[in-house]
Amino acid sequence: MGKDIFEILVNGVKLVLVFLMIVQAVPILVWLERRGSAFIQNRFGPNRVGPLGLLQLLADAAKFLTKEEFAPAQGIKLLYYAAPVFALIPGAIAYAAIPMSVPIMVDAFEMFGQTWGPYKFLVQGYEIGVGIVFILGVSSLAAYTILMAGWGSGNKFSLMGALRASAQTISYELALGLSIVGVILLYGTFNLTEMIQAQQGPLSFQFLGYTITSEYLPNWGIFFQPLGAILFFTATFAESNRLPFDLAEGEAELVAGFHTEYGGFKMLLFFIGEYAHMMIAAGLMTTFFFGGYSIPFVSAAEVLAWAQTVCETATGASALTALIHFLVYNVKFALFLWIFIWVRWTLPRFRYDQLMDLGWKTMLPWALANTVFTAFMVYLAGI
Amino acid sequence: MLSTDIINNVGLNHYLVLSALLFVTGMAGVLLRRNIIVILMSIELMLNSVNISFVAFSKYMGDINGHIMVFFVMTIAAAEAAVGLAIAVSIFKRFREVNIRFFEHLKG
Amino acid sequence: MTADSFLFFFLAFVTLVSGLAVVLLANPIYSALCLAMTMVGVAGLFVTLNAFFIAGVQLIVYAGAVMVLFVMVLMLFDLRHELAAFTRGKFTGTVKIATVGLLAGLIVGAIMMSSGMLSDRSAQASDVLKTGADTTKDLGTLLFTKYVFGFEALGVLLLVIAIGAVSLARSKGGTHAKH
Repeated sequence: MGKDIFEILVNGVKLVLVFLMIVQAVPILVWLERRGSAFIQNRFGPNRVGPLGLLQLLADAAKFLTKEEFAPAQGIKLLYYAAPVFALIPGAIAYAAIPMSVPIMVDAFEMFGQTWGPYKFLVQGYEIGVGIVFILGVSSLAAYTILMAGWGSGNKFSLMGALRASAQTISYELALGLSIVGVILLYGTFNLTEMIQAQQGPLSFQFLGYTITSEYLPNWGIFFQPLGAILFFTATFAESNRLPFDLAEGEAELVAGFHTEYGGFKMLLFFIGEYAHMMIAAGLMTTFFFGGYSIPFVSAAEVLAWAQTVCETATGASALTALIHFLVYNVKFALFLWIFIWVRWTLPRFRYDQLMDLGWKTMLPWALANTVFTAFMVYLAGI
Repeated sequence: MLSTDIINNVGLNHYLVLSALLFVTGMAGVLLRRNIIVILMSIELMLNSVNISFVAFSKYMGDINGHIMVFFVMTIAAAEAAVGLAIAVSIFKRFREVNIRFFEHLKG
Repeated sequence: MTADSFLFFFLAFVTLVSGLAVVLLANPIYSALCLAMTMVGVAGLFVTLNAFFIAGVQLIVYAGAVMVLFVMVLMLFDLRHELAAFTRGKFTGTVKIATVGLLAGLIVGAIMMSSGMLSDRSAQASDVLKTGADTTKDLGTLLFTKYVFGFEALGVLLLVIAIGAVSLARSKGGTHAKH
């Protein structure tokens, strides 16, 4: 966590801030979803509470907090109450490992009569050496939330929904992991920060000793791994139980699936968990395929040099650079979250057997083919 | 007897003792429980304890071959769990019972 | 107590208590969830042993897939009317626990007696396990050069297991169907 008390304190506060960021992004996303879906469906969304309906979720949260607290009589109380709490844990832990900006370099400064040395603060919860393996592992724990909720509710519809949802989750984890292998082969590292570093500058493609460079396109992963990107993005829809893969909550078929018996704030916690997985998916998508926090054709050093003309202290310049890159990351991140919402209100839901066929018989072979092809191309590039 | 040396310097012995305790817990589960699925889970517990032992030796002897062994053990344990569960599902469909008491006699 | 040792003892406590809970709880679904907690504890112990990639694989394979499979199968069985969870008879139960305790004592005694030799050997070996991608690269190299036969045999094993599990648990057709 750090060498001295100041660094430990700042890192601890940063962890809490990242968690709060995830939780506070949910009202914004819900507003975006409700207004966006209304726009797609040619109707008004919530537009009464506050300007443009922005305070709608505040009103909803107040409503949820004052609702009656009930538990089904034939359920198992421990699992019923534990499931929504557990919904937040894998999402928050996995999101804290995604880099959101360049590290902030703080120079040595004087405070309380003591010199606090130069620090390097990363703009993420923590840095994991085997980044992507850790994120995949932790987000695969999300299946337990659904199973605990389904079983703890004690009725058949919840159980059916829970079993179908967890079968879907573990099936698409395979396609998710395999579609990433191409990216790992390409960049030769698990570390997300190093992957972002490898996506700087203009597009340069090496093949059998020739290097093809293009001045118009940035060196992003999407140009090297288009099929991997499509497979990854589709698999993350299934991982976060979003339409078109949301038969876990299939309204017309299963009442409301595994969260039938939940009302009030417990259901809100489930949705925070689902949005947290969406955010992980959007964050990983930008990191692997769209250069993360880097601005195309402008390197971080140039931004730092510009910031130093604006700000006097080196610490201030570094903080300004980090802020700019954070805003760039947020723009790409918000774009992918909007695509999630857009797809939800466009495509109809899959049937269960169609979904399983898609996961095992279509996406898995294509992901394997992508892996083999990428390995071959990396080998040819290295000759 | 509890010198601060044992508590402060966590060495190979600590991990081996932990692995041994976990192993005998799993073994007690296999001997004492009567549900087929819980017996399978206790076997998984034993295999995990052995994994801890391998990785501990790998770190303290500086040899990476321990990690390779962990790979193999993990894969085989997962495969064995899958087959064991498939067998348990077949038995449950046929007999509607997963208590091993009912399968003591090799008949039927 | 240093931070490292506190971390080890905390993780060891969580793992051992969850392992005991697997064996002692009567409801098999609670056992399965406690085993998932044990797997997560073991992954934490791997991290303290600098085996980061193995910890990630443990989370993905064991805690994320195998245990979910166990919990799903248990939920399909619906064993709430489980009559007897433990072995019958007090005498045989006591004999079993005594045997297990004896084995535990033998193993711990063997560890204590050979601790001198172990510490000599481990002092000689340098801490060559690097972090992250370096270890993974070495693992990959070894798997494809020295252990390539085992690796391919594992592939064949997994293929056989997949076919076998599907054919065993089918509802129509398969190896146990009545025609």
